[in-house]
Amino acid sequence: MTSGVTTAADTELRERIRRTLRSQKQRTITVLSSLLAVQHEIKYVPEVAIEETAHFIKGATINDVWSVASFYTNFRFTPPGDHTVEVCWGPSCHIKGAQHVLRAVQSELGLDREGETSDGKFTLRYNTCLGACAHAPVIAIDHVHHGRITPDSAVRHVKQARSKPAPGH
Amino acid sequence: MPDPITFTIDGQEVAAKPGQTVLQAAIDAGVYIPYLCYFPTMKPYGACRVCVVEVETPSPQGPRKATLASCTAPVSKDMVVNTQPKHIAELRKGILDLLMTEHPHGCLTCHRIELCGSQDICLRHVRVNDRCVACPKNERCELKDTVRSAQLEMETPLQYHNRNLPIHVDDPFYDRDYNLCIVCARCVRVCEEVRVDSALSLISRSGRTIVGTSHGSSLLESGCEFCGACIDVCPTGALVERDYKWDKAVKSVNTVCPNCPVGCQVFMDVNKRNKVIRVRGDFAGAANMGMACFKGKFATDYPNHPGRVRYPMVRVEGQLQRTTWEQALERITVGLLKYKPAQVGVISSPRGTNEDHYVAQKLARVALKTNNVDSALNVVPELTESLQNVLGHPAATNSIWELEKSKAILVVSGNPTEEQNVLAVPIKKATRAGASLIVIDPRETELTRYAAHWLRPRPGTEVALLGAILRVVFEESLEDKNPGVNNAGGIGDLKQKLWDFDLVRISSVTGVPADAIRAAARAYGAVRPAAIVYGADTIGRADRANLVQAAANLAMATGNLGVRGGGLFPLYHGANTQGALDVGCTPSLLPGHRRIDRAEDRKRIAESWGVEVPSETGLGTNVMFEAMAGGQIKAAIVMADGIPPKSDLLGDVQAAVGNLEFLVVSDYVMSEIASQADVLLPAATYTEISGTYTNLERRVQLLRPGMALTGEERPGWQALAAIGQATGSAGFEFESSSSVLAELTGLVDVYKGITPERLADRSLQWPVWASDHAGTPVLYNEANESKPQFRAVTMTAMDAQPDREFPLLLAHGRVLQDPTRDVRITKADELNQLSRDEIVELHPEDARALGIAAGDLVDVRSRPRADGGSDLFTGIARLTSPHRGMIAITTLFASVASDVEHSQHPDPAPRVRGLPLRQVVVTKAPVAATAAD
Ligand code: SF4
Ligand code: SF4
Ligand code: SF4
Ligand code: FES
Ligand code: FES
Repeated sequence: MTSGVTTAADTELRERIRRTLRSQKQRTITVLSSLLAVQHEIKYVPEVAIEETAHFIKGATINDVWSVASFYTNFRFTPPGDHTVEVCWGPSCHIKGAQHVLRAVQSELGLDREGETSDGKFTLRYNTCLGACAHAPVIAIDHVHHGRITPDSAVRHVKQARSKPAPGH
Repeated sequence: MPDPITFTIDGQEVAAKPGQTVLQAAIDAGVYIPYLCYFPTMKPYGACRVCVVEVETPSPQGPRKATLASCTAPVSKDMVVNTQPKHIAELRKGILDLLMTEHPHGCLTCHRIELCGSQDICLRHVRVNDRCVACPKNERCELKDTVRSAQLEMETPLQYHNRNLPIHVDDPFYDRDYNLCIVCARCVRVCEEVRVDSALSLISRSGRTIVGTSHGSSLLESGCEFCGACIDVCPTGALVERDYKWDKAVKSVNTVCPNCPVGCQVFMDVNKRNKVIRVRGDFAGAANMGMACFKGKFATDYPNHPGRVRYPMVRVEGQLQRTTWEQALERITVGLLKYKPAQVGVISSPRGTNEDHYVAQKLARVALKTNNVDSALNVVPELTESLQNVLGHPAATNSIWELEKSKAILVVSGNPTEEQNVLAVPIKKATRAGASLIVIDPRETELTRYAAHWLRPRPGTEVALLGAILRVVFEESLEDKNPGVNNAGGIGDLKQKLWDFDLVRISSVTGVPADAIRAAARAYGAVRPAAIVYGADTIGRADRANLVQAAANLAMATGNLGVRGGGLFPLYHGANTQGALDVGCTPSLLPGHRRIDRAEDRKRIAESWGVEVPSETGLGTNVMFEAMAGGQIKAAIVMADGIPPKSDLLGDVQAAVGNLEFLVVSDYVMSEIASQADVLLPAATYTEISGTYTNLERRVQLLRPGMALTGEERPGWQALAAIGQATGSAGFEFESSSSVLAELTGLVDVYKGITPERLADRSLQWPVWASDHAGTPVLYNEANESKPQFRAVTMTAMDAQPDREFPLLLAHGRVLQDPTRDVRITKADELNQLSRDEIVELHPEDARALGIAAGDLVDVRSRPRADGGSDLFTGIARLTSPHRGMIAITTLFASVASDVEHSQHPDPAPRVRGLPLRQVVVTKAPVAATAAD
């Protein structure tokens, strides 16, 4: 018999997820609604959330839940960075030089694709249109838009975000 | 019967059943349409599109043509289906071409495929890894047959893309190589639709979709019950049993699993070296519908054991030495006949056929003049024999798969998932179809997860709960209003006695809230048909007859006897314990359920045998081993055949037989029991014999030999008959198992119409009154059958003897999955094994007395088991046990699966430990530095 598989942090995370699952207000509660609730609360869907959802929804197994979760590209299964930087490279932004902006942001963050920085501070995402084409090129940091951006101003905004606490904390 | 629908397929007029799809009707009509995702026992899925056909339906505007997937298109009247027009054949090829892009197919499209051996040089430079000869499913691959039927071009226009997925080889029993998977989802569907387990799912989306588990976890964590159903339906080499993975079968024989009373019909594959290499569920098997379980599918290797006993042996100067059958028989005769009848006993094989059991009891009664005879696993005889007293026949009243159609199912003190696995399948399916499952058990079992009502009584009070449920049925007027019930014998007395079972009282006796009892009673009583499935895992000997009576009262009162989907199912052990009972291989019954204690019954048998039948009731398995240990039984024949030397069910058999003065054993390996024999006879295993088994639903099925006997082994009936002859008794001149069957069907009235020829065609459920009688799936639905009688149940006092050393009772449960707790996968012998923190549920008062607080680490230690070991658990205390004096732990089935996989024993199935209540002591664990937090 072994013990010590479970740590206090695990238990706390499970508790938080259980609370989240239970506090869904809508009438129809499904695997999908549960996963969305978790992602909204925790910002991602950790493995224990798959397990807890399987326990919460009668008749579901972890494999059923993972089947749903892995189907949707919107779910993320690792914690996001403290700040999200979205660089638009939709058609308008592209014409207005989004690729230069992207390259500058990437080199500032030390990334060459979407994802998290190694220090967990930033998540970089590409966006196919942030819906503000009139201000192209556009980036969004923590969902705040910055228009008519240049490579330099983009890097300045990223640097400013770095010194701020994660939103929602 | 609704009218058949006529339609035309490839110019041939065909009649289809209403509701059938084109594909199903075509299969019935013998017209081949290729298909891959469809599987006859599952719902149509429509994923692969290989089954496309051209369909013309008449309409007022003239016939309409469409290209449809035949597996999802329902047949309609006057439809015209063409399976082979050129454009359909082209379309099908195109679909297969696409499918092949992710399956190695160099060989599939090569005309030499049937000619190539594994070492041959490939004329087409197909990489060795991508060749069919490198696939374990080669020569039994459904994909290959399908592709070949479509005659693909050698050079498909699309390139093969190897997905390079990791191969899963570290879970118990079977390997998964999804590089060979065509994503037909048959495995996912059988696991979800048939087994109701969902241990596999389709993961991810679009072109990346593949079969898997949550986060790619081990099957041990995913809730897999290792039934192997997914392997049996997989059309490719993606899922394959690990043992004998690369072996080819030279024959495949239809026979019956020897491990539990479900009696699954299986195909046994035998290779050219005379070994059983694989067991697959038979989809035409009426008892199992193609299902099997971890025991029947994966613990089947024992006939191949290199240590098989191949010749008779006798003990000479303390050593077992080879001898001849003649000399062995002589020694047996001299050895046994020295003793008085009361001092000898016969234990018939735990896997014996009806023929073996019949000859065993005849030998005991005719040659040894004793009724000390029983089948080895008849350890809860009350469960069936009491049914005889109550209803007339000592057997389950209905058929296993009727449970699928039950509206409510009450399961008492049984864990079919582990002990009678396939019986749990229709129960789980029924709950998914909306039936309410009521479980009465102090332990958490796999079925409690599916239960709408889980009543968790204080151990030993299960019967009181049944009484209370019956009382609510009458109180709320839920009983059957048929005058037959209201006028039935004993009803007045029954209703009178039910006053004892008022809910307040029973609630305090059982520790189950009155509301919960009431709700469960309504769930069972308010719908029809409802079935009762009962075991005695947590119920003591003294209470078992009461249990049966209480269950029968409930079924009778609610009109659930004699109806499909209703009835009573006892859960006992042993593949052919029912058959043993039918042919009289029990201490209290003679062949045909005739009673030893009734003179006219003895007379009937005596007339047929031509000898007197001993009249005093003998000792059954339950007490015979005790009597050996105690010295009352001095000589015995033990047909060991896998009997564990020490177990919860049978106790310390090894010590018991060690105490005998003279011991004859028939066994297939030199087991702990065999090695103590004075005479050891070489036994044939179930893979090598012909004969019949009778399963839990009274279904008589044929065993067929797949392996040849290579030494002097003999089937049980033959060895026992030889002993009979050697003793000089008449009536043992049997030539074959069929001649034994012929004799016994003459004495067992309910078997009267059974012949080997009929069984070769299909299994039959007794009573089979005549050679043209089709058998009886449901008992007591014919007017001529005896009318049941009610009999009041008295509440027995709980005989809980507090024990100083081990003061608490442990209700150990086991489930397939528990996502609420973290597990850890470790490796043992390169295979996955699972561990986790256990939780020990204690009653707050017990905890206080022991100085234990919630969250404390505690040690649980059981009184030494019969097999010498102790149950030991370390876990975190929770003060949630519902009863004082009871603690509860729920472990995962994965541990059983890995135990079987890792077992060094040739025959692990009989050694899987059940979940009896255990006396335990709980102590606070010394605080370890590594403890959690
Ligand atoms: S073996 Fe496991 S995964 Fe396969 S069907 Fe059975 S339960 Fe499902
Ligand atoms: S593993 Fe086999 S049964 Fe399952 S989807 Fe793949 S090919 Fe089909
Ligand atoms: S359920 Fe019973 S009969 Fe069927 S395979 Fe399992 S052990 Fe054998
Ligand atoms: S394309 Fe960038 S905001 Fe629309
Ligand atoms: S068999 Fe019809 S679509 Fe697969």
